[in-house]
Amino acid sequence: MPFLGVDVGSLSCDAVVIDDKGKLIGWTVVPTGARNIESIMRARAEVLERVGLTESGVEALIATGYGRDRVEGRLAAVTEITCHARGIQALLPGTELLVDIGGQDSKSMRLDGKGNVMEFAMNDKCAAGTGRFLEAMARALEIGVDQLGDLDRGALGNVTLSSMCTVFAESEVVSLIAEGAEVSEIVRGLHRAIANRTLALVRRVAPASQGLKIAMSGGVARNPGVVRALGDALDCKISTPAEPDIVGALGAALIAMERAQRH
Amino acid sequence: MMLEYFNDMISGIEAKQELGKSSARSRFALELAHLGRGLYSRDGTVAWCGILAPFDLLHAMGVRSCFVEFVGAMLASTGTIGPMMEQSEQLGYSTDGCSYHRAVYGAMAQGLMPEPDFLIGTSAVCSAGLASIENLAGHYGKEMYTIHVPNDDSSEAIAYLADQFRELPHFVARQTGRQLDPGHLREVVDRTNRMRELTLEIYRLARQVPTPARRRDLANFGIVSALFLGSPGGVEVVEAYRNEFAEKVATKNPGLPNERLRLLWIQNRIQFTNPLEKLLEQEYGAAVVADELNDINWDPIDPEDPFTGMARRALSVSFCGPAEHRLQVLTRLARDYQVDGAINPCHWGCRQGTGARGLLERGLRDAGVPTLNLEVDCVDPRNFSEGQLKTRLEAFMETLARRKSSWLN
Repeated sequence: MPFLGVDVGSLSCDAVVIDDKGKLIGWTVVPTGARNIESIMRARAEVLERVGLTESGVEALIATGYGRDRVEGRLAAVTEITCHARGIQALLPGTELLVDIGGQDSKSMRLDGKGNVMEFAMNDKCAAGTGRFLEAMARALEIGVDQLGDLDRGALGNVTLSSMCTVFAESEVVSLIAEGAEVSEIVRGLHRAIANRTLALVRRVAPASQGLKIAMSGGVARNPGVVRALGDALDCKISTPAEPDIVGALGAALIAMERAQRH
Repeated sequence: MMLEYFNDMISGIEAKQELGKSSARSRFALELAHLGRGLYSRDGTVAWCGILAPFDLLHAMGVRSCFVEFVGAMLASTGTIGPMMEQSEQLGYSTDGCSYHRAVYGAMAQGLMPEPDFLIGTSAVCSAGLASIENLAGHYGKEMYTIHVPNDDSSEAIAYLADQFRELPHFVARQTGRQLDPGHLREVVDRTNRMRELTLEIYRLARQVPTPARRRDLANFGIVSALFLGSPGGVEVVEAYRNEFAEKVATKNPGLPNERLRLLWIQNRIQFTNPLEKLLEQEYGAAVVADELNDINWDPIDPEDPFTGMARRALSVSFCGPAEHRLQVLTRLARDYQVDGAINPCHWGCRQGTGARGLLERGLRDAGVPTLNLEVDCVDPRNFSEGQLKTRLEAFMETLARRKSSWLN
């Protein structure tokens, strides 16, 4: 029977179904919104409909993400750190260093190359440099967050953001626009600022990253500008899976399968 | 208000004791309540102090003494700290500062600090503590004696600190009109040494696998029991702990049934009620078995030369001296208690708590002990992000659960 993984994040609620061999057979990503219980139900219903299943046809479910304890019918709740590590192993086997930037948290994880976390670091109290930060900056630039990724192509890199506080950075972006700075340069500055902040997290678990197999997951990995900027900061190549948002939910589904099959 | 609180606490604990419901922790709480009542009752000499003040020496001179951080911890644990923090902010104290000390300023402004007769500041373990003492001295217009704590434990440093402790009774005598009685000091030092001996036994028992200590049994124990040093009540407290732990070890009655993970807590615990330690126990079988400040690394005090022994004792505290000293203490505790991991709360606003965190993390990692750095205000619950902290702790437990213990052969 299939297995279900549900990742309840601050911005999106992701659900993944795998078969009993661990093959991905369906997924969905829905906005979490203000009522996460409704989003959880919607994500579950959507993904099951896509693969032609009902709840009774699911063998086991693992929940992850900040809302993991609110998912009913779960076999267990597992943190997104463990789930992303397991998920990336399925999508990009042998990953040794994983950066996951989600809606309100950034994490760096040193993995053993087999999908297990050896060490991790998370952002401090402040959510600067996460998905919510990018959303606020896109709003200040009056563009969609999905458009940010390639806007910095060809930029010279002559704009530096001096504040990473979401509120102050938004004001700074508005000021830069008023001063006539190119949008591409502002976006490059934003991406570099996020990369530099993330670099500090990476260095806490991997003082040297040369030679490591590095990947990025989470919604912000959809932004190629951030991935490029982080790659430049690390002087390393960073791989991203085709669907970076669902890595946590996939990991959760795989852990559900492994736990169910162990018993 | 606070006097009433301590009186209620004393009568509540004593009523339970009469019903035979007593534990070492409740005996500890009773002694704490007696101290609180003594400070707030206004019928004796009171001194607000820095953490490294020689409390047994002050006890020998009939002074009710306490470190100021006690107030922040007490207000946090009783859930009454919010208005004090707001008051301190209204007074202009930065929210980036340490909440232990900001709570003192708020309580001072609201008239909830017992008025001291004099103050004794210590330049270690932190400058914010010394600043609090200076502020209190200015606010109440009282005399202050500052003890300069050297940054190493060389023989010169010990002599320098001992000289200041030797001078202290003269300052106290000028404030109180009471001279130090050498015979009484000798009795007090004897009790201090007895407490040291018993406390070493408590820690030896607490190191057992599984530990006999329950979740909060030894929370704040080392730092607070320093306030009882040399007192008859202090001896009773440590005797109660020693007896309770010895019985639990003998009868194989662990503090946490099915203890699976053993943790070292760096610096202070979170002082306000929160679900995290219970979560660690219930979901992961993880017990905080060791605390950085529950440590005795000083020799018995020579009654013929008590000031030198007190100076050595003060300088042995992990926070004194270079960060390497602190790392040595933590590494020793990690090894002695066979811990699987360490948690550093990195108390918000505390330079002592956060300044060396990278060094401690790397040093403990080299010793085979992973460390989780939290970002938590241990005193002000208004800054408590339960979900974020829970994710960090749970992920750490998931990681530890897969690791092989560094202490297994």
